[in-house]
Amino acid sequence: LLSYRMEASCLDLALEGERLCKEGDYSAGVPFFEAAMQVGTEDLLVLSAIYSQLGNAYFHLRDYTKALEFHHHDLTLTRTTGDRLGEAKASGNLGNTLKVLGRFDEAVIFCQLHLDISTDVGDKVGQARALYNFGNVYHAKGKSICSNDTEPGNFSEEINKTFITAVEYYEMNLCILKEMGDRVAQGRTCGNLGNTQYLLGNFCNAVASHQQRLLIAKEFGDLAAERRACCNIGNSYIFLGEFEKAADHYKRALQLARQLRDRAVEAQACYSLGNTYTLLQDYERAIDYFLKHLIIAQDLGDRVGEGRACWSLGNAHTALGNHGQAMNFTERHLEISNETGDRCGELTARLNVSDLQTVLGLSYSTNSSVLSENKAGARPKMSRRYSMDNLQLMTLTPEKCQKWA
Amino acid sequence: SRKHDEELKSTAAASCQALHSDHLEMEPETMETKSLSGYFNKMPFESLIAKRQV
Repeated sequence: LLSYRMEASCLDLALEGERLCKEGDYSAGVPFFEAAMQVGTEDLLVLSAIYSQLGNAYFHLRDYTKALEFHHHDLTLTRTTGDRLGEAKASGNLGNTLKVLGRFDEAVIFCQLHLDISTDVGDKVGQARALYNFGNVYHAKGKSICSNDTEPGNFSEEINKTFITAVEYYEMNLCILKEMGDRVAQGRTCGNLGNTQYLLGNFCNAVASHQQRLLIAKEFGDLAAERRACCNIGNSYIFLGEFEKAADHYKRALQLARQLRDRAVEAQACYSLGNTYTLLQDYERAIDYFLKHLIIAQDLGDRVGEGRACWSLGNAHTALGNHGQAMNFTERHLEISNETGDRCGELTARLNVSDLQTVLGLSYSTNSSVLSENKAGARPKMSRRYSMDNLQLMTLTPEKCQKWA
Repeated sequence: SRKHDEELKSTAAASCQALHSDHLEMEPETMETKSLSGYFNKMPFESLIAKRQV
């Protein structure tokens, strides 16, 4: 009787945890799984399912150390019981978790294990999923070693090799998925394949992959995936110099972000549109979108985003000759950079303030050592070399700023 | 001053970095799932009853 009660209670608790996690409420699900573990069970398949689901719940809650711990327990258990399919699944989950933790070499070992067992037992679905995970690990590895100030397509041989490996895995994955007719998984793979092609500088291929992703998203009415695809297509068109097309896709992404009521991605779309209209030299529209971005950043308490918006607004107003407005935003940018400890932003803002003061005919006086150094002739002129006529795509990253400084 | 003005305009346009924001939208990870309800569905009904009656 005691055993029956124990079994029932552990199962009931675990099933409640499972129900909550299926609804997406992972933080509510975790305590039920933990309680189920406390009660304990003699059924090792049940215990494996509890470990696995706890691992996934922690993964979704971004507590990757705990996720790693439970997926590892699951792996050990499945090895003890000789549950091959269970071992494959635990390996796949370990691979994904190690990837997020940046432990790529270990992640690869578990992806391989996932793939090997799935192949052994003739599990096509498992094979395909392992190949997708493999691609994701190499994509993340490549991204982790490339520096922020390098443009897509200009990475070192070593980094490109990593991205090419990712492409190979995504393509193997796509072959199996097409065989199986799994459109949903194909959509995911096309999206990440497109992003990898983008990083390799193959922007035409990237657009083609993302168009495919877009098509599949529409097939299933998956608005979030559609938004992702539109945003990614926009990014690629920027690099192809097709700014109008980029704007069209960012606008659709914005519309979808609003429909999905996701303020953060709405802000991102506005910012991308502001940048795109700047490239098109339509500064009024750029200002309109940067202002929308600013308002959302303020609403969300995102000071970094707010600073970026002020900086962009300062630049756009300067381009229009609205130096008074430009000064307002530049001063706000300076204030926010100071507050957030953004040295790069602070330096840029100081330089802009000094430029604007000159143009506004104000005499400036400041105690800033940065400014006095610049006044003494060490003023970096780099930004001036770039004009909209010979447009260069560049990012202002801390690394670049340090170079300027 | 006009010259400076012109120069400032190009600076602004440039540093506008109207560039890419490097914001790639990645697809979600696929985690492997082991579901208890799935486990019970696969299990023959009799063995489940037997299990419960231990």
